[in-house]
Amino acid sequence: MSLKKLLKKSTPSSSISKLSTINTKILIHMNDVWASYDGKNYSLKEITLSIERGTNYAIVGQSGSGKSTLLKLINGMMNPSKGQIKVDYQTPNMNKKQFRREMSKIGYIPQSLGLVKNISVLENVLIGALPRIGTLNSLLKNFPEHEIEEAKKIIKLVGLNGKENRKTYMLSGGEKRRVAIARALMQKPILLLADEIVSELDQVTAREIMDLVADAQKRLNLTAVMVHHDMQLALEYANRVAVIKEGQKILEIGIDGDKIIDFQSGNMPQQEIMELYNNES
Amino acid sequence: MNPKNNLIIGLIIAGIIAMSYNIDANPAEFVEGLPNLAIVVKEMAEVEPDLFAIAFWSMLETIEMAFIGTVVGVVIALPLSLLAARNLNSKLIYVPLRGILAATRTFPSILWAILFVIMVGLGPFAGVLAIIMYTIGFIAKLQYESIEAVDSEPVEAVNSIGVSKLQLIRHVVIPESAPHLISQVLYMFDYNVRQTSILGLVGAGGIGFYIINYIKFFEYGKAAVFMIVVLITVLIIDFVSVKIRDKYIVKEQKGMQVKV
Repeated sequence: MSLKKLLKKSTPSSSISKLSTINTKILIHMNDVWASYDGKNYSLKEITLSIERGTNYAIVGQSGSGKSTLLKLINGMMNPSKGQIKVDYQTPNMNKKQFRREMSKIGYIPQSLGLVKNISVLENVLIGALPRIGTLNSLLKNFPEHEIEEAKKIIKLVGLNGKENRKTYMLSGGEKRRVAIARALMQKPILLLADEIVSELDQVTAREIMDLVADAQKRLNLTAVMVHHDMQLALEYANRVAVIKEGQKILEIGIDGDKIIDFQSGNMPQQEIMELYNNES
Repeated sequence: MNPKNNLIIGLIIAGIIAMSYNIDANPAEFVEGLPNLAIVVKEMAEVEPDLFAIAFWSMLETIEMAFIGTVVGVVIALPLSLLAARNLNSKLIYVPLRGILAATRTFPSILWAILFVIMVGLGPFAGVLAIIMYTIGFIAKLQYESIEAVDSEPVEAVNSIGVSKLQLIRHVVIPESAPHLISQVLYMFDYNVRQTSILGLVGAGGIGFYIINYIKFFEYGKAAVFMIVVLITVLIIDFVSVKIRDKYIVKEQKGMQVKV
């Protein structure tokens, strides 16, 4: 089956949105979202999707497909040119005071990780607690005892026990990712956004990091939206996978054990979906 | 080498010759004057060792002046550098502030010293004030430049957590720009010791006062004692700052691991 036929068969977006706006299980909802960096070329087109609470949602696509843009829309670092986005009933916009308070609930890990390299692991993790700390105390680096205990607990959870005081620039690539995850968890988030955080790692380390996220997600009842380059990894860890190509969602599938359910075109054999992805990528 | 480079080198040489003519710089005079140098060196060689004690104490005073001037100057410069960084403030703040900082750097510390001698009278205090002024202008510039060069990725990532601007500065911008500060302050102290050594020329205290007076009265042997003390002190400071830099900076940046 060709991709065009598949897209024609897909459900009209409007009917999904009507259903999902009244669904309290939905954490993230996007309805016909378009986004552009320069006002002319659209990095994302006609994106409609709903992400339920507790889902491990994967976005797969090649470089430049618009998948990182999608994450920036969800945490309000970028605003859509057209369409609506709701994250936990709020419209994400970093420049609005009301949403800035909500931002601490979203743990965002960019591809570059964004760690402060000249400070220790513990100090980096404590940055996640800053929205809860008063200005004066945070300027004096005067963190409450229970926050320091919490940070140490999380550092242990991500497998960096004993490395609290190590300077971040001294860590390996895998360890740095653990610090970034720990900082995000320190925010006490309800949503974790991660942008290709394992794509530069070797197979073994990548799976260790993915296991860590999956474990934390279950333990803390988080929703995770992770961008991947690698379809295999997405199928292994996610409950749902959206494939983005040239700014458009071309496929959305759900994974139930070994079974793959195609959400856009009804049921489709697993073999065919994999072939479709392989042909397109 | 391509013809364009040859042309540029030719132009620079022609320019130097033309400018030397303009400022009356004559290499022949240098050669003719060499015997005079020999006289000075001969007289300087007649060092008067009794003066070493005085030289030592006046050098100590010079170092104290440089130390106070550097520390106070850096403490004032740091908050100013945060305000002068383009990535942290609006034009209304950083443009006038940068103008003021540039003005403090325009005058060498010896001109500041003259100004402060008029203000507070002769003595080391005027010298300290001069050093403070110059240090503020210099360190603030170096610091706002390193603040502007801070990696945007951690800034963006931490900003997306929803922290306040002050928190962002305290926990990301300052730690990311701090490693350069140690190196800059060491350099500034080194520079200030040398500067303070000549502030005595205008009566602003320190070892320069003795040097200029002995030279004025053609007592080169006595001046030499003080100059030797300055030389030894500068060498010691240079040695110590290399050690500190190696310990804190080179290791941190993983430099010097391969000898080129």
